[in-house]
Amino acid sequence: MSRADLAAGKVIRMSLPFRVQHLLLAILLTVLAVTGFALMYHENSLAQWLIRMEGGVHNRGIVHRIAAVLLMANLVHHVFYMLFSREGKPELRQLFITKRDIDDFLQSLRYNLGTATEYPPFGRYGYKEKFQYWGAAAGIVLISLTGLMLWGEEFSMRLFPKFVLDLAIIIHGYQGLLAFLVLFLWHLYNVHLHPSVFPMNPSWITGKVSVEWLREEHPLEYEKLKEEGVL
Amino acid sequence: MRRPFLSAALIAASLFLAVPAGAVPPGVGECMDCHGDKTIEMSLPGGQTVSLYIDLQAYRSSVHGGGSCVTCHADASAPHEKLKKVSCDKCHGDAGKSYAGSAHGKLRAKGITDVPGCDGCHGKHDIRRPKDPVARTFRLNIAATCLRCHKDRALEPRYQHLPDQKLLAAYEQSVHGMASKKSGLLGSAVCVDCHGNHAILPGDQPRSATHRQKIPTMCGKCHPGILDQYERSVHGKGMRAGIAESPVCTDCHGEHTIAKIGDPSSSVSPRNIPKTCSGCHDEEGISTRYALPKKRFSSYMDSFHGIAVEYGMTKAANCSSCHGVHDILPSSDPASTVHKANIPKTCGKCHPNAGPNFAKGAVHVEVSPKKAMGVFAVRLFYTIFITALVILFVLHVGLDLYGRWDRKRSGAPGGKERKP
Repeated sequence: MSRADLAAGKVIRMSLPFRVQHLLLAILLTVLAVTGFALMYHENSLAQWLIRMEGGVHNRGIVHRIAAVLLMANLVHHVFYMLFSREGKPELRQLFITKRDIDDFLQSLRYNLGTATEYPPFGRYGYKEKFQYWGAAAGIVLISLTGLMLWGEEFSMRLFPKFVLDLAIIIHGYQGLLAFLVLFLWHLYNVHLHPSVFPMNPSWITGKVSVEWLREEHPLEYEKLKEEGVL
Repeated sequence: MRRPFLSAALIAASLFLAVPAGAVPPGVGECMDCHGDKTIEMSLPGGQTVSLYIDLQAYRSSVHGGGSCVTCHADASAPHEKLKKVSCDKCHGDAGKSYAGSAHGKLRAKGITDVPGCDGCHGKHDIRRPKDPVARTFRLNIAATCLRCHKDRALEPRYQHLPDQKLLAAYEQSVHGMASKKSGLLGSAVCVDCHGNHAILPGDQPRSATHRQKIPTMCGKCHPGILDQYERSVHGKGMRAGIAESPVCTDCHGEHTIAKIGDPSSSVSPRNIPKTCSGCHDEEGISTRYALPKKRFSSYMDSFHGIAVEYGMTKAANCSSCHGVHDILPSSDPASTVHKANIPKTCGKCHPNAGPNFAKGAVHVEVSPKKAMGVFAVRLFYTIFITALVILFVLHVGLDLYGRWDRKRSGAPGGKERKP
């Protein structure tokens, strides 16, 4: 964190490697959603228009597969980064869900209902971020596995009977729908529409958030940085 | 070779006929004294005029050109008043009899004159043998001869049960029409090959050549190999057993509109075949009556094969890729391409590594607890899970906003009022 940043009241929340991973994820998931839902809802006229825009059903498949390969590469890179890099290891530790997160969640509900006087103070990641992270991780793993099965359908059917592939296609589609809804209703609300960040939390581009925002939304992280003498 | 013989015969005939005096019938030459004049006309009561000119050259080149005018116009003398109608029956009795029983013949017997008599198709003085390339009834000219009337839209309202004119005109664009018109192939089907000639009748009459029950055999005249396959198929056996709903050739291929498989307009093109088959197989009544499996169309269209074909990737499997074409058999028949034991081989046509696992599970996945419990359960789980999650998200967001609004209203400083 540079002096200039601190002087401007900013602190780094997303380092460059994480911003690159996040941007890739955002672009690839959008491409996958557009090409995937066009197929899943092929009876819908908007989907039909999309398939035409994507150059027909065959080219749509090629685009979807290229994006999928890049996404899986992104995921593998992320796993290695979190497990072995100097920056990733402590991040991962702070992302584990503990009993504290469940208590925080319940307390936030009580607070908003007016039966608790204090909003739970979060560390670097609150329950909202942790839920988002692990949900997305599980979803991407599941959707990648089923997608690979469907891609190599002849190979898959050497190992599994056909009805397993029928399940794979259902899981692949609905898991995609689930991921899409979580991103739209949950993630986009939290990083764009939530009153504390509206119209946007800039950290995904600049990497920085204001110290004030950190003190408000992640007070435990704020205090920790203070103790460490960073702030 | 023919001409010297004909002239000799004429000379001989005139010698013999010239001897006995009395009511001497006029010779061709005498008739031509008047009818060879291009301006000779007859007035009709309506005020129109009809030319009475006869082109001698055309007559001499006709199949009857070696004869004499009086062979047909027996009551002719020179000069003469209006002659009796010519009847061809005297020489062509069999054709006359067939014609009398035909749709054309019956109407004509009722005095309707704008349906064709013999001359309508064969011509009058210029009749040629059907083998003669300039004959109206030469194979390559037949369509034009029939369509002279049957393409006329004014005809349609005048006669009930007359097929759609547009449909008849479509023959010219059909695979048969193109083969004869464009490629000049004699072997291609023309009108009379299916409908017959003199005895032509509408297809709904049992004696008609185009009656449903006769169609496979009729098409089989030119397509015997296909007929052989069809006879052994479930459709062919059904048809021969008298089940009228069992499809015959025309139910899938169309009639006058028959096109090549590669033609996108063909009812049996890869893209259209699912719709063509489901004309019966997606029909509630038919599937119930013959205990056929249901939802074949929707389950196919929702599969990857169906979607791919719908969007023009025609190398993906359509109905006939798996079930066969003319030789379709029910999956219960061990010889069927979709019998459980044969599925790996059938799938293997496109998926070279297809093994026994291809046969484990339904190909037409019908999502119901009975037919595909696994898929049904997973879909139900996701539907409930996603719905619940969306409701919880909305509640959480709503609660968040409500809390803020509530605190603001009660005078607390906006946002979260935490002690510093």
